[in-house]
Amino acid sequence: MTLEAVTDRPADALPVARLGEPGSWGATERRDLLVLNDVTKRYPNGREALRDVDLVVPEGDFVFLVGPSGAGKSTLMKLIIRDELATSGEVILDGENLARLPRRKVPHVRRKIGTVFQDFKLLPTKTVRENVAFALEVTGTPRGRIGPAVERALRHVGLTGQAAQFPRQLSGGEQQRTAIARALVHDPRLVIADEPTGNLDPLISWEIIQLLLRINELGVTVLMATHDADVVTALRKRVVALEEGRIIRDEIGGGYHRRG
Amino acid sequence: MIGFLAFSLSRAWQGFWRNVAMSLAATATMTLMLLLLAGFFIVQNGLLAALTFVEQKVEVEADLRPTALDADVDALELRIEALPEVLEVDYVSKEEALRRFREARAAQGEEDLTRYLDSNPLHASLQVKLRDPADFGTVMDALRADPAVERVKNITDLVGRVVTVTDFLRTAGLAILAVIGAIVLFIIINTIRLAVVGRAEEIEVMRLVGASDAFIRWPFVFEGALVGLLGATLTLATIAAVADPLGAFMYDFFRVLPIRVGAIARDVSLLVLGAGLGLGVVGAWISVRTYLIR
Repeated sequence: MTLEAVTDRPADALPVARLGEPGSWGATERRDLLVLNDVTKRYPNGREALRDVDLVVPEGDFVFLVGPSGAGKSTLMKLIIRDELATSGEVILDGENLARLPRRKVPHVRRKIGTVFQDFKLLPTKTVRENVAFALEVTGTPRGRIGPAVERALRHVGLTGQAAQFPRQLSGGEQQRTAIARALVHDPRLVIADEPTGNLDPLISWEIIQLLLRINELGVTVLMATHDADVVTALRKRVVALEEGRIIRDEIGGGYHRRG
Repeated sequence: MIGFLAFSLSRAWQGFWRNVAMSLAATATMTLMLLLLAGFFIVQNGLLAALTFVEQKVEVEADLRPTALDADVDALELRIEALPEVLEVDYVSKEEALRRFREARAAQGEEDLTRYLDSNPLHASLQVKLRDPADFGTVMDALRADPAVERVKNITDLVGRVVTVTDFLRTAGLAILAVIGAIVLFIIINTIRLAVVGRAEEIEVMRLVGASDAFIRWPFVFEGALVGLLGATLTLATIAAVADPLGAFMYDFFRVLPIRVGAIARDVSLLVLGAGLGLGVVGAWISVRTYLIR
């Protein structure tokens, strides 16, 4: 299965692996990768999607973002990749205040983030390998560096054998793994996954979750929005619950639902 | 920079062929619109040439006194020729006037009445071609004031009518060309926008993985330029193929001045290439802007 590919991977295969090595940063002085200070987002139509949100995510965390549809999860993710700007308050990613970031620097911040979506967003006319390589090509990566980086990312998600296939020839789980490979190929500091298992059956969902956990173990911070109560409850990770644009709960080892 | 250019050009080329139906539809629209534009440009040019031709027919004609001395007439001719409104002055002698009269009668198939005359009753005259027919007044006044002139033919009404008609046709021609230009602009920009919207998925992925605006924009701009150049080439090829047969047909059928495409070939080529390239680039630039970083 996939996960063996992950564990078989030599320790120095991915630069992100260095972050996971002891000594690169200690548990006591983990940097805050993502900070939201008193963030409110109001859309032009007057709808308030987020209200007074405070959130601190230290580097290396694995955070579940839960809440009903329309609670503000997607808006939160859009703010992090600076697809939207906060109406008030500040969003700080890796020490940079996104509101003050000049437009031309936005792409550089986005390259620190890998994004994974429920609908995969793979390009149907490109093979698995081309889909992953695309992320490097369009960011101006020199040709010589693309090939090895793509192979590494594919090995990471266990899709080396399917590299020449097109998305429509793959199962849903394999498609999502392709998307994850694409998210990883830039060696991101943060992976944000918006309902990555929403279109997958439970068994395959677990595969994907396991893969994200492995990635997190290598030192990559993971922020995953989900409706999957079983997964959240079983994993005992940090859970941030949103409701009507507010954080109503933020606890480590929490379940999907409020206890008691 | 070279890498970026190579990337953009190769992506533009791929983009064109990956979505070949859409690209060909855009090229076909571009070609038809450019044909429309070029066609009206050619017609407009023909119209202008015809109007200038008509206007040059407006002449101020002054009959000279039979008693006028050659030296006086020469002096008058020089003086009139020096006026800024005047294009050229022709001296028509009595004999020449009679010859022209006979020719005109013969051409109409009428009897030559002059053989019943024992002397030439016609006057020698000066025929003055104007740069602008509207300036006839000054020239008429200058001629009337000279003692060598017997009378000046009154052309006020004629000039008034000609100028009204030619001015109207010029303005109308320009207005129609402008309207067609605007229509062509909107249709081409919308066609290219459709082609870009068809690739929204790809653009979204580019944005998400951190492609800079330039990497998103330029491949589309080059693709727009490709569509524009291809459309312009097809348009020019079509015009070149039909120009001669159509010109000949027009001449045979209407007996009018054939629109000579050859004379304005350079202008038409520049217009078609410029419009094709410009609209392709501008259309792509505007269409892709929606997808860039807000």
